[in-house]
Amino acid sequence: MASMESTDKSLVEAHCKGDPKAFGELVRRYGDGLLGYLTRMSRNRHEAEDLFQETFKRVHEKAHTFRGSQFKSWLFTIATNAAIDGMRRGKGIRMLSLNQKFDCNDADSEELSSVALADDSYEPSQEAAKAEQVQQVREAVMSLPSRQRATLVLAYYQQLSYPEVAKVLGCSVGTVKTQMFRALKTLGQKLPDVQG
Amino acid sequence: MKHHLTEKELIEYQFKLASDAQMKEAAEHLEGCGQCRGNLEKLQRKYAALDLLGEKAEISEDLITRVTEQVRRPVVKTIAWFKKPLWMSSAAAVLVVGLVLVANQMGKDGTKQREIAQEPMPTVDKMELRSGQSIAPMTEMEVASKPESTQARALQKNDMSRKATLAMAPKEKADTYVAMDKASDDAISEQPPFAPASAIELVTLPRRDKVQLTIYNSADMTLVRERRNLTMKRGWNWLQFMWANTLIDPTSLSLEPLAEADKINIEQLVFPARLRELGRWLIHSEVSGQVPFEITYFTSGISWRAFYMGTLAEDEKTMQLQGYVRVANNSGEDYEEAQTRLIVGNVHILDEIAELAKRQYPYNRPISLGEAGGMGGGMMVGGMLKGQELDGDRYLYDVAADSFGAAFSDKLGRKEIRKEGLSEYFLYSIEGTETIPNQWGKRLLSFDVKDIEVESLYKYDEERWGNQTIRFVKFANDEEHNLGETPIPNGDVKLYGKADSEGLLSYVGGTNIKYIPVDEEVELNLGPARLVKVEPKLMDFRTDNYMFDRRGNVAGWDEIRTWKIEIINTRELPIEIEITRGFGTVYWIIESDTAYEKHDATHARFNLKPEPKSRQALEYTVTTYHGMRENTLTGNN
Repeated sequence: MASMESTDKSLVEAHCKGDPKAFGELVRRYGDGLLGYLTRMSRNRHEAEDLFQETFKRVHEKAHTFRGSQFKSWLFTIATNAAIDGMRRGKGIRMLSLNQKFDCNDADSEELSSVALADDSYEPSQEAAKAEQVQQVREAVMSLPSRQRATLVLAYYQQLSYPEVAKVLGCSVGTVKTQMFRALKTLGQKLPDVQG
Repeated sequence: MKHHLTEKELIEYQFKLASDAQMKEAAEHLEGCGQCRGNLEKLQRKYAALDLLGEKAEISEDLITRVTEQVRRPVVKTIAWFKKPLWMSSAAAVLVVGLVLVANQMGKDGTKQREIAQEPMPTVDKMELRSGQSIAPMTEMEVASKPESTQARALQKNDMSRKATLAMAPKEKADTYVAMDKASDDAISEQPPFAPASAIELVTLPRRDKVQLTIYNSADMTLVRERRNLTMKRGWNWLQFMWANTLIDPTSLSLEPLAEADKINIEQLVFPARLRELGRWLIHSEVSGQVPFEITYFTSGISWRAFYMGTLAEDEKTMQLQGYVRVANNSGEDYEEAQTRLIVGNVHILDEIAELAKRQYPYNRPISLGEAGGMGGGMMVGGMLKGQELDGDRYLYDVAADSFGAAFSDKLGRKEIRKEGLSEYFLYSIEGTETIPNQWGKRLLSFDVKDIEVESLYKYDEERWGNQTIRFVKFANDEEHNLGETPIPNGDVKLYGKADSEGLLSYVGGTNIKYIPVDEEVELNLGPARLVKVEPKLMDFRTDNYMFDRRGNVAGWDEIRTWKIEIINTRELPIEIEITRGFGTVYWIIESDTAYEKHDATHARFNLKPEPKSRQALEYTVTTYHGMRENTLTGNN
């Protein structure tokens, strides 16, 4: 792990010195995880991609200030700030790429497609029910305050430990746990019953 | 733990939020309590729904490329969204309220007023706050430009709150985005915002993507059509257009979206008071992202003129004709990569564009608050100038041909000219575009046609040119002469002849041609000929056939003149000469061995073809009838 982090740092340093490949390597290394995080922090895949771009833009702009050894935490901190900024700006607006087909216009449809393809016993009625549940969960998560949402996504979906979440969010572990509990408490009233 | 686990304790246990000691205690309790285990399972089932969002995301190569590309290129900000932190509004409001309170206090307390008067000179910012007129830095300007009325303040507040909810796509994102109507809280207010008197929240015009110039040479008028990609935000947008130091007619400004037209409304164009040479469009957009727009306007200062260079072959039976167009730009604006089109014909306009452009204000002087009865004057709504009608019989020349001169050495290769008929216009669609900077002129080749059959013709007509012989070159704008595809615009012609077998040229003459329609003949008047002379001599004059009235007075007679006209051709080529003789009356007859034609009622015309280096004589006797003698010719002439 230590070697990985030192490699991250060396990549950042190489990028600062003008190495054109270093930045791409960082994007590839953390891209999937970061995109997953931002997808759950935003309304759809397109918004997540925007935030993804914005995050790495900020990484590029602030790369010279990176001194620590935990690039991942630093990256997720930037992503969280970008997502919260994005949420402030984009409250209530859904963005849709004109290049995208209208029948698969957001992440829900993509998720649905992957569910459908993976399941041999796929039926349209199941697909519709599942789509509705996915949407309910997404709306429930999206209804959380941004800090609670970030805590939930980092801890539950990204499977970061609470100390790691605390580092990303720049707060104490106790605060993280409090935020997490409040998020879960709220979700408990909004999540659909998927078992029955 | 003696009691059953609460929901809070179950959540803390399930998600490991409790301390190690509490976790251990809860685990021990669950081991022995079926009810709590049941509650935990129920809780786990409930939160299992979270896993529906558990799919892993994978980044695409496209996204990686976009991200890496965006850090490679320098950030170019063509659109300036002037954003203002919310605290700034609050601070400004507090400042205004404070100033009002201070002013009130000063009004009540003359002593304080005097103290204030003794203070050092106020800073520029303070002066602007008090006058509310000067153009100031953004924050001060925002304060100074607060709407006067309560309604206006409410509108602005409404607008500001809306701005806080608007999303912006990242600038580097290449895709165009459409905002979907989803939540009721982001519905766009029907009420337009108050016209900003400051530059805050304005979209400034980005660089033009395409530009087309249609130049009317008869009226110092050019129609400019620009295409620019503007980044719209959903809701109300202000777009600022400035024309300082140019000759743009502000009354002709027009803006149209080229896409999403059903979602974008251009509400109005306002010319804010006290701000010269700028207009602001209010655009209502239901979409967010880049939208192509077309801006059209008229400008003066761009002109074009056609001119031609003809080179006669040695035998003077054929000619090479090259047509050029010179476009001059003194409009104050650079036009890069412009498609240039030229209009021939008379244009009827109500106003001179240059005069409109020089106006201090686009329409009238803005009305001051006092004059307008406190209703916030100074906003003029504009659009295309009405009444700029075009007369019929015009032709459109679309020229962007060769570039000449080192100054325009960008593209020296010949470009193909594609000509199309378009309604009553002829459209010359020519490969490529031309850059015409301000204060520059550019000569463009519009056509180059060889082997045009021409007729060299000399004319002698004392009534028109005195005793000079005038040289003409005659051809037709038709297919037979390798022309006739389009009309030929009026312009200067310079004609050269080949002086010797080595191809050296000599200047033959120059003239100005009128507009030549297709299939029409044209004669180029090259001026007096030095090598061909016509010398008429009156050889005899007498009167005859007198008639008298009853009183014995002369009532009619004939005048009989005998003329000898010598034609001297000193050239080494045979020539054709047309000699026109006028008689001052419609009653005349001619006797001559040389054929003639009656040109009109009072003129006869002789056509001769003298040999090279020759003298040829033409003799005729003309009898003119006067008074009662005219009656004898009735029916004869």
